[in-house]
Amino acid sequence: MVSNLRYVGNPALQNVDGADKVSGRARYVCDMVVPGMLVAKVLRSPLPHARIARLDTAPALAVPGVKAVITHADFVDDGNFGWPVKDAYVLAVNKVRHVGEPVAAVAAETEAAAMAGLNAIIVEYEPLPVIGTVDQAMAPEAPLIPEVSPTGKGNLCNSHILRNGDPAPLLTEAPVRFEATYEMPHQEHAYMETEGALAIPEPDGSVTLYANNQSPHINRDIAAQVLGLPTNLVRVIQPPIGGAFGGKDEILYQTSAQAAKLATLAGRPVKLILSRSESMAASYKRQAMRSHIVLGAETDGTLRAAKIDLTVDNGAYASGTPLASWRATMHAAGGYRYAAVHVDMQSVYTNNGYSGAFRGFGNTQASAAVELAIDELAERLGQDPLEYRLRNCLREGDATMTGDLLNQAVGLADCLEWVRDRSEWTKKRADCTAQPEDGLTRRGIGVACYFHGSGLGGEGEDFATATLKIEEDSSITLTSGLTDFGQGSRTVFTLLAAETLGVDIDRIRVLRPDTQTALDSGPTVASRASIVGGNAVRVTSEKVALLLDLAAADHLRCDPQQLIRDGEGYVGPDETPVPFETVVDHAREMGLQLSAQGRWQIRPIEWDFETGTGEPYFCYVFGAQVAEVEVSRRTGRTRVLKIWAAHDAGKILFPKGALGQMYGGIAQGLGFALMENFRFKDGVPQTLSFTQYRLPRATDVPEIEGTYIQTAGAIGPYGAKNLAEPVMIGTAPAIANAFAQATGIRVRGFPLPRVKGWIRRQSKPCPPVLANL
Amino acid sequence: MRLTFTLNGEVVSLDRIAEDLPLLDLLRDTLGLTGTKRGCETGTCGLCSVLVDDALTRACRTPVTKIAGHTVTTIEGMLGPNGELGDLQSAFLEYGAVQCGFCTPAMVLAGEALLRRTLTPSREEIRRAINGILCRCTGYQQIVDAIEATAQHRRDQQKATSGGEGQW
Repeated sequence: MVSNLRYVGNPALQNVDGADKVSGRARYVCDMVVPGMLVAKVLRSPLPHARIARLDTAPALAVPGVKAVITHADFVDDGNFGWPVKDAYVLAVNKVRHVGEPVAAVAAETEAAAMAGLNAIIVEYEPLPVIGTVDQAMAPEAPLIPEVSPTGKGNLCNSHILRNGDPAPLLTEAPVRFEATYEMPHQEHAYMETEGALAIPEPDGSVTLYANNQSPHINRDIAAQVLGLPTNLVRVIQPPIGGAFGGKDEILYQTSAQAAKLATLAGRPVKLILSRSESMAASYKRQAMRSHIVLGAETDGTLRAAKIDLTVDNGAYASGTPLASWRATMHAAGGYRYAAVHVDMQSVYTNNGYSGAFRGFGNTQASAAVELAIDELAERLGQDPLEYRLRNCLREGDATMTGDLLNQAVGLADCLEWVRDRSEWTKKRADCTAQPEDGLTRRGIGVACYFHGSGLGGEGEDFATATLKIEEDSSITLTSGLTDFGQGSRTVFTLLAAETLGVDIDRIRVLRPDTQTALDSGPTVASRASIVGGNAVRVTSEKVALLLDLAAADHLRCDPQQLIRDGEGYVGPDETPVPFETVVDHAREMGLQLSAQGRWQIRPIEWDFETGTGEPYFCYVFGAQVAEVEVSRRTGRTRVLKIWAAHDAGKILFPKGALGQMYGGIAQGLGFALMENFRFKDGVPQTLSFTQYRLPRATDVPEIEGTYIQTAGAIGPYGAKNLAEPVMIGTAPAIANAFAQATGIRVRGFPLPRVKGWIRRQSKPCPPVLANL
Repeated sequence: MRLTFTLNGEVVSLDRIAEDLPLLDLLRDTLGLTGTKRGCETGTCGLCSVLVDDALTRACRTPVTKIAGHTVTTIEGMLGPNGELGDLQSAFLEYGAVQCGFCTPAMVLAGEALLRRTLTPSREEIRRAINGILCRCTGYQQIVDAIEATAQHRRDQQKATSGGEGQW
């Protein structure tokens, strides 16, 4: 099919801010220096749970060079914030609930003076009993971690249910029943740039904040609230961000408010940048999650029903967990057809750091568990795991596990077939089975698939805005309230505006969000920038394009319908192209205002949290991945040899960026399966550096063969759907399922164990199980 | 101490520099060259990598005494005389190897160090050459693509140059 699109889907298109970054010129918040700037440091709790018996900051002010010191008492309402559960504080109040929790902060002339100031603060802790597991947290005599239980049920932070039919009789009658429990660990975002903010007090009493936050408008609103300032006296400007992956929300609200308060007290700019170990202790993680899964199937393998219990460790504060655990609930049985599904989720406070948003937002852990279970069930039935998935996977017209009817193109089977064919699945699977049992290494090949609801769904109002202005010289300025932290949304917004206006892409400059120029667009989360933010850019561009059409028609003395475009030029019936600039000038002469703002919103979705029924999302994306691994008997080490990945994301807008998202997501999934495990021992984090917390390096990540299955009809701009988060979901379970074929060891959690000298056992009907070694 | 070394092609001479000052602090704080990034305190992330002579070196673990009399190249030194991008930098854009950009300067220098040693690296060799630098965004594949393509580009240029000489 010949496309008449100039930029959408153009494989030559490059990142619009790539040149700033590859030249080293991009100025991140840690690179910023302003005259008179002070350095801030934060005193953090060394204990996972303790009452603050004494906190005296006066000695810090006596330290030479120290200009300001703050505690919770310096903030309105003790600096209390948080949504949907308002349980967080800018600085700890009365007690600390996790290691790394901020207690006080100091601003000083130099880093050394700031450190000396911290050391001078007198703080005495009375240790409280530490809750290191969800089971301890839910015990009847457990000490309460939050100030007030949000549910009235002790350490239960929140719960969700899904009720689709009644699985109980189906599970009782099912000829094949599978039941197992899976444990997924905490994961660290490990964005390469740690958290930071630069606060500048302005002469008029306002504060300007540069912060590497995902959601600048939310940061502004919280800062204004805790500082006791009207919203229009706080301005948040977002510099380039060195990665986020969901991790730069709440921790940035704390950090920004601390810097802003210190700056207003000292009357001087304050820069606060977290060290790596500080970042790893203080920032939120991916929730650890336990899935107890019961599946029922016919003897031919047809899935009938699922009953799943999820228990989530959200740590000391709720953060994004109430929403992420809802997404986990909506996806816990995977992208398959069932007659009935029940899911019950409980999210529990512990003293294990705290958890919130991380790529996949609950679905990464929930899908990993069910994909290991489906593989075990297929093996028990003696069926090929990929063909088994094809037999049961969602197709157009099916109802999802929540009962949501799929009146959209569903590319899941296409994805499974693509990875099957490209990986030569059938041959490799047979070759692996035929390997000698006692070889020094053994290979295996495994598969996993997933579905993922688009946008916020039942989590909240899903809208975005954009502004567009044609300047005097016919250059174009575009804003969005959604941020680019490396995922490429600035490029997507630029190309959408260029495509819609029919102008050269170089004409357009998209500003980084600044709460004084961009309009609130909700949070930059949920892989929603391209769909929701992109549609806002499209509708805004259409408004201006309409004005330009009127001006061109007036200039060419024809009807707007008679216009055609020749490059940037406008052509009327006399077939002589008129340059874009001429049309712009003429529009101004006509008195037209060549600027617009636009808003786009997803239609409201009805989910009833009480009954656990409704429509959770307006559309879905799908994908499948195959991993080939080799496991060494001598070292026990698992090496991933190759990954094949296919994802149904509708129309791809920015191909290079889309592939980059896929490769990067796969690397994070590989880390989740093989090496990443943010461990706590009685609430004390054990992995606070990159030597203790291993990330995938270039030799750990294999060559990836990936594709996008571009199904039609999606409501995103030019038919796009979302991709950034879901592309990581299939990787970890595909690797674990490959590991199972290689070793005969079925894991029920990550990371995969390194079992030296394992002996493959031909056990039937159920293979041996090793839980999370 | 008085420190003299060559930085991005120019001789730099500085007085009253502490001997144990890490090169990273000298670059970022004293000289304001912020293209070189700090990502950890344990020497494990590699984001502060620069070239000392031709060798990829972690600036956070290099006291300035070690660079006296040597040549240091940072990302700022990879640009052409008029500030234009070098071939390897352009390839990073062309192959989609830049996302958040925080590891990008170190990755470019790691690629440069490799290509100064060999213009025929395998993809496995490229992966080993950048193994000391963490990237959380890209999954490394497009970075490998960019370095591989630049090796090919430089080979073609060499061939063209030597071919040209033959024709004379």
